[in-house]
Amino acid sequence: MVFKKWRHTRPFFGAILSVLSGLMILWVPLNLYLSTFLPGSVAVIGLLFGGLITLMGLMSFFLPSASKALGIIVIFLSILSVIGALGGFLFGTIFGIIGGALLTAWRMVPADESAGAPVSDTAAQPAKTG
Amino acid sequence: MTGAVVMESKTNKKVFWGALAAGLLALGILLVSFGVSGVAYAVPIAGVGDFYVEFDKLEGEGYTFYPKLGETSSSDATPQGTNIIEKLTIDNLQLYKDFQVGGEWIRVKIQASKPVQISGLQHDAGLIEANAKFQNLALAENNSTDWTKQFQQTSSTIILEDAKLKTHYLFQETINMAGMKLTVEKIDKK
Repeated sequence: MVFKKWRHTRPFFGAILSVLSGLMILWVPLNLYLSTFLPGSVAVIGLLFGGLITLMGLMSFFLPSASKALGIIVIFLSILSVIGALGGFLFGTIFGIIGGALLTAWRMVPADESAGAPVSDTAAQPAKTG
Repeated sequence: MTGAVVMESKTNKKVFWGALAAGLLALGILLVSFGVSGVAYAVPIAGVGDFYVEFDKLEGEGYTFYPKLGETSSSDATPQGTNIIEKLTIDNLQLYKDFQVGGEWIRVKIQASKPVQISGLQHDAGLIEANAKFQNLALAENNSTDWTKQFQQTSSTIILEDAKLKTHYLFQETINMAGMKLTVEKIDKK
């Protein structure tokens, strides 16, 4: 029950997908460890991108209020990871884009509002008066 | 009553689909730009093990060779030589690997009809057969406890003609293969 409550107060699935994506992207340069650290190798960029995406995923568990910005960074980095890490053979990139989009779209809304209103973003519009 | 407002986690579908579409579009643009220029970045053909590289002519700059022990598809440690070339052009490149499937042999072959440009090549070979030309060739012995660092061969340029290389590992930072063709065919092999 405690876990369920914890899970419902943060972008859980977006964060899980982002962490998975980061690990997949890291897998490619880690398997090329022999040449990853050769001078001028672009595979080292893959390590950086994969590590940052994993970090962003973990951060969105603990900083749910920043999930919008973290989501945008995850999408951006997972696309760039095609260079240097082959985007975790593209699976990492696809997972990263979906995870990042989930993070970007996540928000907390009052429970009665989300139940009553058919579309949640109508709440953002000012109420018509007069 | 001024009770605390119960908050609920919600995903805005409009934003989700918008972000997903934007991400996929950006990925598409990046992949199309690679396709147009024919350049692939950081291409590993690792773990394939024991395949052959053949070509008519290779011209390269910044060549280094050193011995090492490396993995192959049939052994954990086989003596090999590592060739590192900074920049090279290869004419009539053919890469192939033979697999035994049931009682038959199948050859997977990649060939490029136009000159292939590669940068940042690392190539581990068990056998090199070629007509070779070097410029500023230096062979040096170093006093090191690591046996792979005890001998090194370097040259400013390398030209190999009519070459056949038994390869265990191949890595390119960028490769430009115009006119690439991949074929899978049955072969007669005794």
